[in-house]
Amino acid sequence: MSDLEPGGADGASRRDCLRTLGAVAGLAALGGAGCTRVVGRLLPSRSKNDTGEERPLLTAAAAPIARFFDRAAFGPTRGESRQFAQTGAAAWLDEQRGAPGDDSRETPGLLLRLRTLDVVNLSAFDLRDFPDTAVLEQLQQAAILRAVYSRFPLRERLTDFWTNHFNIYARKGYGASFKAVDDLAVIRKHALGTFPDLLKASAHSPAMLSYLDNPNNRSGVANENYARELMELHTLGVHGGYTQKDVQEVARCLTGWTIEDRFLHRRGMFRFDPQRHDAGAKTVLGVSIPAGGGTSDGDRVLEILAAHPSTARFIASKLVRGFYGEGEASKAATVRIADVYSRTGGSISAMLRALLVGTGPYGISSDLIAAPPVLKRPFDYLVSAVRVSEAETDGGGPIQQHLARMGQPLFQWPMPDGYPDRTAAWTGSLLARWNFAAALTTGGIEGTGPDTVWLPKTELVSAFLPNASREEQTRLRSVIAPFADRLPQAAALLLASPAFQWR
Amino acid sequence: MSRPSAWWSCDGAGHLPAFSTGAPTRRKLLGGAAASALAVWAGQHSALAGVTLSPDAAEPGDAHPPHTLVVVFLRGGADGLALVPPYGEDAYHRLRPTLGLASPKDRRAAVPARSLDLDGFFGLHPSLAPLRPLYAEGQMGIVHAVGSPDDSHSHFEAMAAMESGLPSAASSEGWVARYLSAAPPPNPSPLRGVAFGPGLPDSLRGATHAVALESLADFRLSPLAAPMAEALAALHATSRSAGDDPVRRAGRNTLHVLKVLQRLDPALYRPAHSAVYPQSELGDGLRQTACLIRARVGLEAACLDHQGPYLWDTHVAQPGVLAAQAADLAGCLAAFAKDLGAQGMRSVTVIAMTEFGRRAQENSGLGTDHGQGSVLFALGGGIHGGEVYGAWPGLEPSQLEGPGDLRVTTDYRQVLAEIVAGVRGSEFPSASLFAGMPSSKPLGIA
Repeated sequence: MSDLEPGGADGASRRDCLRTLGAVAGLAALGGAGCTRVVGRLLPSRSKNDTGEERPLLTAAAAPIARFFDRAAFGPTRGESRQFAQTGAAAWLDEQRGAPGDDSRETPGLLLRLRTLDVVNLSAFDLRDFPDTAVLEQLQQAAILRAVYSRFPLRERLTDFWTNHFNIYARKGYGASFKAVDDLAVIRKHALGTFPDLLKASAHSPAMLSYLDNPNNRSGVANENYARELMELHTLGVHGGYTQKDVQEVARCLTGWTIEDRFLHRRGMFRFDPQRHDAGAKTVLGVSIPAGGGTSDGDRVLEILAAHPSTARFIASKLVRGFYGEGEASKAATVRIADVYSRTGGSISAMLRALLVGTGPYGISSDLIAAPPVLKRPFDYLVSAVRVSEAETDGGGPIQQHLARMGQPLFQWPMPDGYPDRTAAWTGSLLARWNFAAALTTGGIEGTGPDTVWLPKTELVSAFLPNASREEQTRLRSVIAPFADRLPQAAALLLASPAFQWR
Repeated sequence: MSRPSAWWSCDGAGHLPAFSTGAPTRRKLLGGAAASALAVWAGQHSALAGVTLSPDAAEPGDAHPPHTLVVVFLRGGADGLALVPPYGEDAYHRLRPTLGLASPKDRRAAVPARSLDLDGFFGLHPSLAPLRPLYAEGQMGIVHAVGSPDDSHSHFEAMAAMESGLPSAASSEGWVARYLSAAPPPNPSPLRGVAFGPGLPDSLRGATHAVALESLADFRLSPLAAPMAEALAALHATSRSAGDDPVRRAGRNTLHVLKVLQRLDPALYRPAHSAVYPQSELGDGLRQTACLIRARVGLEAACLDHQGPYLWDTHVAQPGVLAAQAADLAGCLAAFAKDLGAQGMRSVTVIAMTEFGRRAQENSGLGTDHGQGSVLFALGGGIHGGEVYGAWPGLEPSQLEGPGDLRVTTDYRQVLAEIVAGVRGSEFPSASLFAGMPSSKPLGIA
């Protein structure tokens, strides 16, 4: 069984990774493995190098492709990993950034499932007739389906990133039906485009305007809610150099940015209402905006903000934290990515290239390989568990309940700052993760089924946790050894293990 | 030991809880190897918690929290002018011609429309009647015209600001979380902070050693996961070769909570002193809070939301809705106080608060719109009850604020800081919980 052992923590070579992949493929070819074989594969293998020193749970160097997909997607799948091993990071990124802003190039299987969903097919106005809970369920269903099955996992990862950056609480007002439109026309459409376009789309999104009370923002009685978050959370960052006076001036510029409530065919869409607009002259961040600009006042504000160096820095720092975590290299990387933002007019795919592609194995950025582990949020955890175990899911209510119990019912974070990415925010919900893992692999979730053909043929530790450290893999093998005759539980334990919580 | 079948024997002498033998299978879930694994890690220093865990402390009954704070948040903006009506002020009756409650002695009004007298000026909503004895006995105090400087009139903004306790709601920590971390206590309990609901409320955001429980009974490994219990303990154990990480530490804390909770069978909990909790979400939550307090699992702060049978957001049809809301709230709080008894309540303080009050003038839909100042109820240990505290701003047109709101004369943070200081002693850094809080004279409520 020695050739089944994963590459050592220090052997960051192409050969090691191919060997692991080859072993997995070889096992799959065995077919109908007998019970003794399975038991044999689950038995603990002796660690040759147990020196007693402390090591992190994950060592990306051992399995760079797994690390890459943990960060750039919602975890690896066998098929994607195999193809990536042949083409490398640059070619993969080229293909991924060609992702359309809609579902048009998805697989027939995913399209078929998405077409049954009203949130994908109806306007915000039509969706208003549905109960909020029904719209929310479908929204979450679409998100889960795309994250698990999309041909463009990078777009899905960025969709999750921007959904939280431009967070909208879908339980406020008509939030659910508005969010359905925002999800498609703002977030997905521009997820890999340019930040200025994304920002502009968000500022015209009824979901955002309504969530942050801009329909109440009118001449004489300005509401600063959106103006403040626009600068604090969406662009400049809280230390980005704006003042309370700037908040008031930006709010004045955005007076009259509201939602159509008169004409039936446009109801629920963006509308500029000149009657509510403050027509006077304004000064934003030192830039004079002359009187009488109408809707162009707000457009000018968005241009000023998108072009501001603080925005370049703030967006870069958030992207770096999302992909590299809080490591040593993050500060230098932020400067580098902010520079890419400024040079490319805020091109998201250019920043991604700088973050993901580099001189490491398979052309992966060596900063990405060296970055410290990041705790998976529940959505990340759930999707990566489904993907790595090759389960099938309809993304429906039952699996969503698990997501809610883990603490991340999608589109339901009330604050404008999005679901937290701090480790401490999520370690309180491990019990729900354990119960989910057990339900996932034992067929305990309606509409979601474990793979009963592939799992029994697989050396589970290498397949589920290729980038766990050697010590951790050894420990995992010994912990699941007593479950040799209960594969679903063995698989659940690996998904419940501390190492699988990180990416 | 008058109730051998109950897990808690209420002999009033603080003896260890007696455990039922009714659920042996549950208790065996984490037996054997898992228990020894727990004993091994429990003796080690946990960097996440900053406390030393000892195997003994893992046993219910051995953790001695100095005090338990119970925070009930009335979601939706509860109308302080209806809950504690200033019936002695003429303007009140002018502003609330149909919704206003009559003076206790107003013989023209039907008895159900009369308020219950508190002090000759303020009354109590008749549906809050169960709280009146607690007020009369000095267990419960009230602060009126209390609120936050947030004048957004947005539930969302106001709640976020109030639960963070800081001027900027963008802060990631809640004030109860800061309360728990302000004084690292020798309390190793994994249950220092508890919220009943799917997740931690913003007030507990950022707290370590806090859990959100849908219910005590549901906080357990599912039947599908139960056979994995021992292996889970092994997965999260430290080892010389593999070191430790936050997930393993949190996993051990979770297993610790499971271990503590499996010793309790909430189904067998019998409230003392013939207390009967209303059949409601808040009733269930407070009943379970009492269960945890009396089992002495180390509970220091419990956060409960009161949505009520309807909502406190009474824009329309206020009279019936508010009566139902108030009845549920009062019934639950009174049952809780009765269950714990005067002695038990000495080490428990309950605070009921809301994000804002409602417009002084009733609207055209028999309701009230978002306002500003409201009321806060506090009862239990350290509370000087039997009084309505706070400067009364008055309801004359010139005295109202903004769109016609009851002016806030007492900052909610001042009340919370005063209660915390009263409960935990003056050396407790209560003011540091609320950075940027305006300084003012103590009310005297705690």
